Amino acid sequence: MKPSFSSCTVILASGFLMLALAGERVQGQTLRILGGNVTLSITTGLAGAEPLPVQNTASRLRYRRSFTVQKITVTSNCPGQNFSLTVVATNVTAGTASPQVTLSDGMPPIDFITNIPSGFFTNATATLNYTAWATFAQGNSTELGDDVHTVTYTISAQ
Amino acid sequence: MKHALFILIFFACASLVPPSARSQTDNHTVRVSVAAITALQVSSGTVNLSITGADVIAGQDLMTATDETTTLLWGTNSSGKKVTVQTSLTSPTYTLKIEALSPTQGSSAGQIILSSTPRDFLLNIGRSSGSCTIRYIGEALASQGVGADAHTITFTVANQ
Repeated sequence: MKPSFSSCTVILASGFLMLALAGERVQGQTLRILGGNVTLSITTGLAGAEPLPVQNTASRLRYRRSFTVQKITVTSNCPGQNFSLTVVATNVTAGTASPQVTLSDGMPPIDFITNIPSGFFTNATATLNYTAWATFAQGNSTELGDDVHTVTYTISAQ
Repeated sequence: MKHALFILIFFACASLVPPSARSQTDNHTVRVSVAAITALQVSSGTVNLSITGADVIAGQDLMTATDETTTLLWGTNSSGKKVTVQTSLTSPTYTLKIEALSPTQGSSAGQIILSSTPRDFLLNIGRSSGSCTIRYIGEALASQGVGADAHTITFTVANQ
């Protein structure tokens, strides 16, 4: 028996639906930060120079490619910020990393990874490479408190 | 049957909606902690002051030698700080004076006689990175005779 046009459509649509649902189940979110919260501690400095910057690469971004070219932006919220924090994407498996972004309180969204190529629900990852630095003139946490950034990443069509 | 078909097609199409229509975010906390850091460094390990009497004036008892070849470097991110100086010799034979010249931050406490008790050397350096030239002045009286003093000089960042 020859399958009808309607039957084919139903089968195709069902396939798409199952794939989509499977994708959601497996991947959960379109964009996800892996590795949890991050702490960077600056503890040493050079006489006549400045405290030594500290790096952290313990967290990663996992994001899902879609049917359009996408990008990821970053922004930060850090009331009463005293010290300096930058982030750059490294080991990017899909897309192009933007230059290092300086994170400051209330900043507008800045491009972080651009030109993420389209793909059929395939995952991509990037390492979040944070660098914290401070000058002697900027003081210390004992007197001023820690800087606590809420760093937000957003994926959207480019 | 037709209803089921439409529903399936609807869900299939909905799953293909590009992220422009459903941008997604995630966030985490990044904490930056800066310890109270203090660093001090002297540019040279040894200074020799030789009073040879070459420029001694007849009839004048006091002879001196001066050195300005060393530099003190510091960095501190705490407020209300100063630098003190002291020597390891409790009873030196000859007088050794010290002075901070041209500090890039703070102010010099002026010329002081070194003793084993900490004395102010630089004032108001808090939360800065800077340097100054160290001037040493060795003094000897003719009546004190020949000899040598070996000092270990210690600079300390202290609360003002």
